[in-house]
Amino acid sequence: MAEKINPKIKTFNQKEWVKTNLSYQKDPGSWAWILHRISGIALIAYLFLHIWSISPLVQGKAAFEQKMATYSGTLFSFVEWFLFAFVLFHALNGVRIIIVDWADGAKYHKQLYLYTWVIGILLFLAMGLIMFSHIF
Amino acid sequence: MFKYKSSKDTGAKSWIYQRISGIALVVFAIGHYILMHFQPEAGKTYEAVFARMQFSWYRIIDLTFVTLALYHGLNGIWGIFRDYDLKSGTKITIISALILFGLAFLFWAYYIVFSIPYGKPMP
Repeated sequence: MAEKINPKIKTFNQKEWVKTNLSYQKDPGSWAWILHRISGIALIAYLFLHIWSISPLVQGKAAFEQKMATYSGTLFSFVEWFLFAFVLFHALNGVRIIIVDWADGAKYHKQLYLYTWVIGILLFLAMGLIMFSHIF
Repeated sequence: MFKYKSSKDTGAKSWIYQRISGIALVVFAIGHYILMHFQPEAGKTYEAVFARMQFSWYRIIDLTFVTLALYHGLNGIWGIFRDYDLKSGTKITIISALILFGLAFLFWAYYIVFSIPYGKPMP
């Protein structure tokens, strides 16, 4: 089952995939793809952390509140705020992907990518206002 | 061993499940954020968690959320690996690791939720 490889076609070099990926010309679709991956990986990592961080619920009130005290404070609120940025991008871009797959949505993928950012930034700022109104 | 045995699975089911779980997760996440961040005191204290967990339907919502999130997340990770031309053995190792890791955290999450008692809170 040996297939003939056309020498004119450059095959994807597995070893230099970072370099190859970076060499591609980036249009909004490429950035959406890259950021969707990065935010997705970050979110699943956070989900594992989240299950671990609320696990003191098993031991009752005292243990839970002691653990939760370490997760409060301005620094952690900032981390939570930026976590929301990842959630927002992944959610909005996910909706964008569904629309792009739908009917002739692919024609509008660049506009939709712009809307992802506009709606995302607005909701991010709104969340900042809500979260930090409890602190300051 | 599995060199010439490719799966008949086209990935269409995986694709539609990823979209359905994705839409559901957006809905759950909106609820989660409203609950946790509009009034942190009403969302995050032990009393608040305990009070919510007295309703079985709330436990069901929580566990559906975590189940879908783990499925969507790990299926997404598998989707990333699927983009690369991996050897069968590597594929089997990765997918087994993802499933085991996912199940471990899923059961941990279930254990946490079911450890919260009905009736009287733990001190």
